[in-house]
Amino acid sequence: MNISTSWLREWISPVVTDEILAEQLTMAGLEVDGIETVAPAFSKVVVGHVVSCEKHPDADKLNLCQVDVGEAETVQIICGAKNVRTGLKVMAALVGAKLPGDFKIKKAKLRGVESFGMICSESELGISDSSEGIAELDVEATIGQDVREYLDLDDHIIELDITPNRGDCFSVLGVAREVSANYNMAFVMPDIEITAMGKSSVATSVSNTSACPKYLTRSIKGIDNSVQTPQWMADKLKRSGQSTHSPVVDVTNYVLMELGQPMHAFDLAKIQGDIQVRNAKLGETVDLLNDSTVELKDDTLVITDAKSVLAIAGVMGGEASSTQTTTTDILLESAFFEPVSIAGKARNYGLHTESSLRFERGVDFNITELALDRAAQLVIEICGGKASEITKSVDESALPKLEPITITQAKIQKILGFELDSNWIEEKFINLDFEISDKTSNSWTIIPPSFRFDIRIPADLIEELARLYGYDKLPVQKLSLDANINVIKEAQIDKYDVMQALVSRGYQEVITYSFISEKYQDLINPLAKKITLKNPISADMSTMRSSLWAGLLQTVESNQRRGHTDARFFEIGLCFDGVKADEQSNKLAGIVSGNRFNAQWSSELQPLDFFDAKADLESLLSFTSATFDFEAAEHPALQKGQSAKISLNGEQVGWIGALSPAVQKELSLPKCYLYEVDLNAILAGKIAKYESFSSYQQAQRDIALVVDQATPVAALTQSINELKQTHFVSVSLFDVYSGEHIESGKKSVALSLTYQSLEATLADDEVNTKVDEVLALMKDKFSATLR
Amino acid sequence: MIKPILEKAKLAIADAQDLKALDEIRVIFLGKKGELTALLKSLGTLSKEERPKMGEAINQAKTNVQTWLTDRKNHLETIELEKRLLEEQVDVSLPGRHSEMGGLHPVTITLKRIQSLFAKNGFEVATGPEIEDDFHNFTALNIPEHHPARAMHDTFYFNESTVLRTHTSPVQIRTLEKQKPPVRVIAPGRVYRCDSDITHTPMFHQVEGLIVDKNANFAQLKGLLIDFLRAYFEKEDLQVRFRPSYFPFTEPSAEADIECVICGGEGCRVCKKTGWLEVLGCGVVHPNVLNSVDIDSEEFTGLAFGMGVERLAMLRYGVTDLRLFFENDIRFLKQFK
Repeated sequence: MNISTSWLREWISPVVTDEILAEQLTMAGLEVDGIETVAPAFSKVVVGHVVSCEKHPDADKLNLCQVDVGEAETVQIICGAKNVRTGLKVMAALVGAKLPGDFKIKKAKLRGVESFGMICSESELGISDSSEGIAELDVEATIGQDVREYLDLDDHIIELDITPNRGDCFSVLGVAREVSANYNMAFVMPDIEITAMGKSSVATSVSNTSACPKYLTRSIKGIDNSVQTPQWMADKLKRSGQSTHSPVVDVTNYVLMELGQPMHAFDLAKIQGDIQVRNAKLGETVDLLNDSTVELKDDTLVITDAKSVLAIAGVMGGEASSTQTTTTDILLESAFFEPVSIAGKARNYGLHTESSLRFERGVDFNITELALDRAAQLVIEICGGKASEITKSVDESALPKLEPITITQAKIQKILGFELDSNWIEEKFINLDFEISDKTSNSWTIIPPSFRFDIRIPADLIEELARLYGYDKLPVQKLSLDANINVIKEAQIDKYDVMQALVSRGYQEVITYSFISEKYQDLINPLAKKITLKNPISADMSTMRSSLWAGLLQTVESNQRRGHTDARFFEIGLCFDGVKADEQSNKLAGIVSGNRFNAQWSSELQPLDFFDAKADLESLLSFTSATFDFEAAEHPALQKGQSAKISLNGEQVGWIGALSPAVQKELSLPKCYLYEVDLNAILAGKIAKYESFSSYQQAQRDIALVVDQATPVAALTQSINELKQTHFVSVSLFDVYSGEHIESGKKSVALSLTYQSLEATLADDEVNTKVDEVLALMKDKFSATLR
Repeated sequence: MIKPILEKAKLAIADAQDLKALDEIRVIFLGKKGELTALLKSLGTLSKEERPKMGEAINQAKTNVQTWLTDRKNHLETIELEKRLLEEQVDVSLPGRHSEMGGLHPVTITLKRIQSLFAKNGFEVATGPEIEDDFHNFTALNIPEHHPARAMHDTFYFNESTVLRTHTSPVQIRTLEKQKPPVRVIAPGRVYRCDSDITHTPMFHQVEGLIVDKNANFAQLKGLLIDFLRAYFEKEDLQVRFRPSYFPFTEPSAEADIECVICGGEGCRVCKKTGWLEVLGCGVVHPNVLNSVDIDSEEFTGLAFGMGVERLAMLRYGVTDLRLFFENDIRFLKQFK
C-alpha cells in the first residue's frame, strides 16, 4: 500500500524526517519497500497568472505572454504550448530556475523577442510521466507561491509491504495508530459530522448473517455527480495509487484509503425493490465494473435487489447499478463481511480488489457506521444532496468474539529470554488500544480491539510487546541445549563424497528443473506414470520427471549450442513415480558426450564410449563394497545392444547405456552415454572389517578361453567365483580378443586366476588341479575351449 | 719395469671415452691376463730378497690403477647421466596429462557450507518430499484453507490437496511427527512457486532450521542467526538487524537483514539504497504448529528459521541474475571451483 506522508502527518506528525519515520515503521513490522519523492528536485518555479497572451510577431507557433508572478512587474515569457491563454494560472519557471535533468532557465531570445522564463508542463517538472501542454492550475492558486509548496511536492510516498496479519494497517487511520503506538503520541481524526434526515427508501435484509453480520446503507438524494473531484482529494488518491473517476466513486475510494472501510455506491434509481444479502444461486451471473461477466458459485456472497445480482459482496460492484456522472440519487453501502467468507472468493473469479484485500484480512467491525458518515459528509460537501438515516441489518451474535487473553510475566520471559518492565508493558497495551480487563502483579488480561484480527493468543501479545520494544534491542543469547555428540553412521556414505568423486573425474554438477515437458518424459520413459501440474508455468514445465536424464540431455543440448561439445554432467535430485512421499526418491544420473579427454598435447582425441561412462559409474559404486550386476537389457531411451540394467541383490537400481539413435535424432543431440542409479543404493556402504592375509607366496595362472561372442564375460567370472574353491583368491580379466586366429562368432577371454593359502605355499600340482577344475566348469557351462 | 706400465695405464684410463673402453683397459692391466697380473705371476722368478719389495710395488701399482679406474668410471658415469638427463628433459610448463576437474553447482556449494556451519552447532540434516500434501505444506503450519498467506505462496497444484512444496517448512512437521524434543535440525531442499520473472524462478532452494527445547527462546534464535550470518560471510562485525514480520507458523516472527555486502551499507542498487539486505525469516514456532504434532507448547518452545539459498549464493559470489542458476551454462558453472 502506498501512503503519502503529508496525508499521514495531517493525522499524526512526529518530529522526525519522513525517512526516519519510514525506518521506524519498518522496524515496527510495517515493512517499507520504498520511499519516493512526489517530484524530483527543482527550484524557482512559481504560480503565475497569464495576464496577456499574443502571437509572437515572427513565429506562428509561439505566444508572447505577460505573466504575473507576484512581483511588481509582470514577466515576459514566450510559450509554445497550444493551451496557453490569457487568464490561466500556470507553473512559471523563472530565470535562474533549475529544472529536473539539470536544466537551467536563462534569459533567452526567441526570433528576436526576449523571454524571461518558461511556462512548464507536468512532465517537464517530473510530476507526471506525460502531459499534454502546460499544466493548468486551479484558478484559486496563489500567484507567486512556490509550486513545490502549492502542490505539496515535498511530500513522500511510502510504499508499505503489509503482512497478511495486519489488515488493520491498510489505511491512513491504521498507519496513524501504528505511529501513535510507536511514538507514544495521540493522533487527530478529521471532524466527521453529518445531518441526516428521514429513512432510506430501500430496505435491506441479510440471509447469511454469519458471512455478513453487519450491513449498513443510506441514501443521498439530489447530488450533482458531474462536478470535478477537488484537487486535494484527487492528489491524495493519486499519491495512494488510486486513479480518479467521478466524485462519488472517488469518495468511496477516499474513505477506503482513509479509514480502511471498503464502501460501495449504487445508483439508487437502478435498484429495483429491496436489497438482499445472500449466497449466490448456482449459475447466476453478474456483469462487473471491470467489464467482465462472471458466473457465480453458490459459496459466494452477493448483494441483490428484487431482480438481479448487484455486486459480489466485498469484492466488486456490478456495472448495471453503478453510478454515472448523471446519477442524482445514490445508495451508499458500508458493511462488515466476515474474513473467511470473503477469503479466496476474489481469486476464484480471477479478481483482486482493494476491497477484497481488506475484507479477507479483516476490517474493523466497529468503524462501519463512522465510515458511512464520513462518506456521506464528503459526498454532500462535493456534490450536494441530502442524506438519509442509516438502515441497519446487524446480527450482533455473528460479529467476531473478542475473547480476553491472559499473559504472564513468566511466559514473556520464557519466550523472549528477559523480563520486561511491568509499567512499560501496561503503557504499550494502552498505546495499542488493548483494553486491560484484569491484572495482577505479574499478569495481564486484555481484550483486543475490534480492528486487530491477529491478536488472539498470548504469543500474539508477546510479539506486540517485542516489536514495540524493538527487536534490535532484544537481548542476544547463546543457544543452550544438552549437547550430545550426534551419531554419524559410518556405513552411510556421504553424498558429498560421491559428488566429489565425480567432480574429480571431470564432471560438472548441474541443477535442472524437476518439472519437464511431456515430450521429454515420453521420449525417456513413456511408461512412467504422468504426474502433471494443474497450473504449470508453461507446457515445457508441466510434468514431474521420473528420471534425471531429461534435464541432463537438455543441459548437453544447450551447452552444445553454445559450442561446448565435450560434456560431463551429473545431477542428484528427486524423481517422481507418484505423489506420495514414498514414491519420490533421490537418484544420481550422469551424462558424457564428446571426447574422452580434452584436446591435449599428450594424446590424440578419442571419442568416448560406453566403458568411459561405466568406469565413472563404477568408481561411484565402489564406495559401497557391494557387487552391482550389469545385465544387457532394453530401455526406450537407450541404444539396443549398448544398454544395461543395474541391479543390487537382484533388485533393479539403475540403468546405463548409449542414448538411442532415435532419441538422439529427435533431440538433435550428439552421441551421449547416460547412467542413472538410486542414490540410496550407492550410499549404503558398510563398516570395514579386517581379515588377516597370507604371508605365503600366491600362485597365479593365466588361461585364455574361447567362447561364443554372446557369452558375457561377467558370467564366466561369476561362475568361477561361485565355485568357491579353497585357497581361491580372485579371478581377473586381462584381455578380450576376437579376429585373426579365432573362429568367427567366438572370442578369446584371457583370465588370471590367483590362489593362495594361509598355511603354506601351494604346490604346483595342487594349483594345476584347481585350474583344471575351472577349465572343466567353463567347458561344461559355456562350451569354452582352451585357446 | 712397473713404471712404464703405470704410465701406459694412466694414459689409457684418461683416454677412455666410455665405460666399455674403461673396462677393456681394466682387463688389459688388472685382468687375469693383465700386465700387472702377469708381473705378479712372475714374482716367482725373483730372489727371496727381491720378492717382498717387488710384490709390494706391484700391489701398490694395482691399487693405483684401480683408483684411477674408479675415478675415471665415476667421471664417465657422471657425464653419461648428464647426457641422459638432457635427453629426458621435459617442458615442465606443459599441462599435466588429462587433469580436467569438474565442479559442484554453486547452490550445492552454498548448501554444503550452510550445512557444515550448522553441523558445528549440533544440527542434523532432515529431508522431506517435494510433492507435499496440503496438511504438511499448509494446514499443520497454521495456514488453514482460505488463509491469505496461501495466496502469497503461488502454489503449484496437482490436485486440491496435493502441491509442490512452497517452502521447506513442512519438514518441520515431518521431523516432529517422528522425533520428540529436544530437536535441532536443518532441512535443505528444493521448493517451488508458480512465479517466473527476472527475480523469480519457479524452483529454488531453501534451508529450514528448527529447534525445539524446553529452554529455547527468541534471544537464542537471534544469537544463533547472528553467529551464522557472520560465519557465512566471514565477517566478524557484520551488522545484522531483526525486524518484525509475519509467518503463519511463527509468533513472534522476524526477518533478519544484514548490512549490504555489496556496498557495505552505503546504499546501492542491490540493497535498493537502504543499506540492508533481507536474508532470512525466523521466529518462535506458533503454538498451533506444536499442537498439530502433539507437542506441549507450554513445556517446549520451538525456534524456526528459513533462508533462500540462491539469495545467499548471489550475495556471496556476486551473481546478479537468479536465472543463471538453472540455465546450467558451463561458462557460469565452471566459475565455482
